[in-house]
Amino acid sequence: MARPCAVVGIGQTLYRRRRGDVSLDGLVREAALAALTDAELTFADVDAVVIGKAPDALEGVIMPELSLCDALGAVGKPIHRVHTAGSVGASTAISAAVLVESGRYDTVLTVAYEKQSEGNATWALSGGRSGGQAAGGTFAPWIREYIRRSGAPEHIGWLVAVKDRLNAVKNPYSHLRIPDITVEKVRESPMLWDPIHFLESCPSSDGAAAMVLAGGERARRSARPAWVLGHAKRTEITTFPGRDTVRPRAGVECAAALYASVGITDPRRQIDAAELYVPFSWYEPMWLEGHLIAEEGEGWKMTDSGATALDGDFPVNCSGGVLSSNPIGASGMIRCLEAANQVRGTAGDYQVDGARVALAHAYGGAAQYFAMWIVGSSLDVLA
Amino acid sequence: MTAVHDVDFTLEYPYTRSTGPIVGPWLTGLRDGRILGLRVGGRVVCPPVEYDPDTGVSTSPDDLTEVGPAGTVTAWTWVCAPTSKHPFAQPFAFAQIRLDGADTAMLHAVDAGDMAAMSTGMRVVARFRPERRGAVTDVYFVPGDEPPPPVEADPDAGSVETTEHLIGVRIREPLFPFRARFARGLLEGRILGQRSPADGKVHVPSRGYDALNRVAMGPEHDVEVADVGTVTSFTEIAPIQYHGQTETEPWIRCSVLLDSADTTVGGIDVRHIGVEEFRVGMRLRMVWKPEGERDVSAIENRWGGITGGVYERWEPTGEPDVDPELLKDHPF
Amino acid sequence: MAAASASSAAASAPDFPDIAVVATAQTPAHARYDGPEVHLIMDCVDQLLASTGLSRDGIDFTIAGSCDYLSGMPFAFVTNVDGMGAWPPVYESHVEMDGAWALFEAWLRLQVGDVDTAMVVGSGRSSPCNAREVFHLQADPYAVAPLGLDPDALAGIQARSLIDAGLASESDFAAVVARSRAAAAANPMAQVQASGAVAVADLLAEPYDMAPLRAHDVAPPADGAAAVIIATAERARELTDRPVWIRGIDHRIESHHPGLRDLTDSASVRTAAATLGIGPAAGGGGGGEGADPDGGGTAGLDVAELHVTHAHEEIILRSALGLDDSVEVNPSGGPLGGNPVMATGLIRVIEAADRIASGRARRAVAHASSGPALQQNLLCLLEGDG
Repeated sequence: MARPCAVVGIGQTLYRRRRGDVSLDGLVREAALAALTDAELTFADVDAVVIGKAPDALEGVIMPELSLCDALGAVGKPIHRVHTAGSVGASTAISAAVLVESGRYDTVLTVAYEKQSEGNATWALSGGRSGGQAAGGTFAPWIREYIRRSGAPEHIGWLVAVKDRLNAVKNPYSHLRIPDITVEKVRESPMLWDPIHFLESCPSSDGAAAMVLAGGERARRSARPAWVLGHAKRTEITTFPGRDTVRPRAGVECAAALYASVGITDPRRQIDAAELYVPFSWYEPMWLEGHLIAEEGEGWKMTDSGATALDGDFPVNCSGGVLSSNPIGASGMIRCLEAANQVRGTAGDYQVDGARVALAHAYGGAAQYFAMWIVGSSLDVLA
Repeated sequence: MTAVHDVDFTLEYPYTRSTGPIVGPWLTGLRDGRILGLRVGGRVVCPPVEYDPDTGVSTSPDDLTEVGPAGTVTAWTWVCAPTSKHPFAQPFAFAQIRLDGADTAMLHAVDAGDMAAMSTGMRVVARFRPERRGAVTDVYFVPGDEPPPPVEADPDAGSVETTEHLIGVRIREPLFPFRARFARGLLEGRILGQRSPADGKVHVPSRGYDALNRVAMGPEHDVEVADVGTVTSFTEIAPIQYHGQTETEPWIRCSVLLDSADTTVGGIDVRHIGVEEFRVGMRLRMVWKPEGERDVSAIENRWGGITGGVYERWEPTGEPDVDPELLKDHPF
Repeated sequence: MAAASASSAAASAPDFPDIAVVATAQTPAHARYDGPEVHLIMDCVDQLLASTGLSRDGIDFTIAGSCDYLSGMPFAFVTNVDGMGAWPPVYESHVEMDGAWALFEAWLRLQVGDVDTAMVVGSGRSSPCNAREVFHLQADPYAVAPLGLDPDALAGIQARSLIDAGLASESDFAAVVARSRAAAAANPMAQVQASGAVAVADLLAEPYDMAPLRAHDVAPPADGAAAVIIATAERARELTDRPVWIRGIDHRIESHHPGLRDLTDSASVRTAAATLGIGPAAGGGGGGEGADPDGGGTAGLDVAELHVTHAHEEIILRSALGLDDSVEVNPSGGPLGGNPVMATGLIRVIEAADRIASGRARRAVAHASSGPALQQNLLCLLEGDG
């Protein structure tokens, strides 16, 4: 059966629009070495490496595990590379956890990254053709449909944008720092894809995130483990008549499977902090509903009431979230490691007091790939 | 282009790389006519790397040291038919070259004229190109030991911190048969869909299969659909500028459920209706371009919608809107 | 360095559950398939479902390998999900690697113990692109890729190293090609269907391409897909009468800098083989002296399906695996007979498993490779029931 797996080391780069000071080697090493240092380990202690990123065309390097293996100390070891669109960072973390849970690898280094400034994500999303609509153009109609269905007032999106950006100011790694952001500023910012304003959209960032995952003795000996209590992934096909893109079935089933696997019956009460993949502000209430944390039509009320703020009863994206730092391929892994930070008590100024169970989530493609995990401060925290 | 054509597309982007603390000085050296190696772990490694290959420990630019310009070929291949990506149009050698003063070989190109001029153990020497921009292609090698003419380095050029790379992959192939039939239909003024043998639903534009039921569809499943339909979804796009982008003004991109079809046609660009009056449920009709002016060159195997090359515009039919509640099965 | 770490990944610790290949499928290796990659995948998945009697939702985990760049579009792999089937939603993942690495992850996933069946897919269409112009982008993006130095060129350099070291000759390369083509003639899935024997002398009369390699020394990129279903022991016995047990999978990578490698050997294959208890370190992979007919770890190999995309690689791999003449190498014709890139490695597993399932072999090793000049290598050790 599954051998328990713990996050025993966390490392991040500074996220910036452009990390002009580092090569691709340097970028991934910055995160990997930080994670190893945090785990009090070196490359020599690592049994296998799992990397993840979004399309190769974002940097113009095919199968980058081949050119990064030396930089990641992987020579002589197994290294493999995951790619599941926007969900990839979390998928990569889950793949790395499977290596440990299988019992065959004790210590696994996992790294996800994107150096968006080397290429152009809108170009990539358009397949290199003119007339690309960007991710916002894809998601805007579904956000509009969510607003129609739920009757949510328009300020909900603005509230999320303000909350996440103010959280980001507390996070030393954040790309966007807008300490003077207000609802008025969000509302007055340019409309990019109606109803998504500029300040309701994620930035384009360079950055890498890394974790050391361990099983067995190494996990038990860790000074600050975050135990991976469970994980789940679900995928559905892109388009067919009747597909619900606002509340995709794959997302609902992914959450249901995850909660069932760890014995969560009341996620809002049993989860102390959540890092949800919210690249456009409205996705906070959409995923609260789409992942069974709120009833349908009720997610926006949680946002509106302040429940998702750092001092609320269900804090979401205390780190600042994707809205504040978005190295695409790493964004999902950042969710996973920030959830781990919360249950380890290492989240610094954005620590949720007493957090013992945290949820991380990422989605990708046309809201069709979902990857989620739950970490805990101990293996029996939900018992 | 008013005929159905083969696909010939280059997926291309001008990437900008930042070079970091080791590669940057190395490329700066090449631009200035010097080849640098790196002292690490008791040896000199060229090209230099940011880590000790044996331990992974970070290295320092302080340990960069000049090597070459001559060296010894330790292995080579003769490229009889260079590709468009190679540094020479004529046959040449790629070689492992251990530069004098280095302990490891680096890969590079040798302009040797003839394969008979190449041999393992031969001496080769650097030649710097007249136009240098801080790239590995600033240099190449020729047989012999004769040092390169001195290179005049621009003292004001600064160090190489970023490099540009136009990277493209050319794709050439015939249109898939179902795409070709769809494109031909558009040229003839007909919109072709395919009726799934599994559930009878009409897919337009078809992708040659029914994804839900996982069945392929062939010419026998082709059906014609109307050029009138209902808006199911739309976005107003303020174009982001990127390599290859030709749009400059905002426009509406919508999906339309054509009458008698069961899937929506996405990617329909509307430029003649204001966004303030555009809405889900609106009834639209396609106004075709005259037959001889239709252009289906945008249709390829990876994208195959109703291209703007075949219509003048989409215009409201004036019919009452369809209740959006009835369209919620069509979010795309 | 490459051989330094055999890691803690013990190959056959007794408490790991047994996992078996229960069904395989592949399309022919098409020089050009005139349709979407999805069709190729769908074809394989349909074959698998038909042969196991499973419905799509009877498969617990799905994982695929493909390459966006080869497909000419970022996110191309998303469309491939249509071929695999994902409605209702499925538990699914993707590696941007050959399908053999998807198998690695699936094999580990089943060992966790909470799921029992997995489908693994590899697919690619190479025909729209010039493979050399695509895969030079695997090289170091600063020092090598701008030279356009593609995997075939590095293979040429590796082949030269082998000759210079006295380990092989051009005739040896031609002999690999002749034997592969002869075998491919009997394989309906092969792309290169020789009409009779190809003589070594005739091959050597052909002009060079990446000298010392000739065009026929390089596996022709093809369009195709392949897929397998694997299952835990109890489920495997329900799904097939002839399960093929996966006794171990291990993969290792070598330095990206050829100047830091010995190109005449495969340190990564040696490490992987040692981890699986086969290869020269374990007393030889063949049926020669020291062989353990009970498959106790060292030997008893009947077949090796090797991911040989350049003829000389077979010579390096034979040596690193310690294969003697008693082991049949690439009876399918191998990649030199048909190379549907991104499925080719997984097809090695399929060909080896099919030989075992059909009773023509009892124990086999399948090898997959990624990157130029055998940079990264995976070994999968397979065994039949008896």
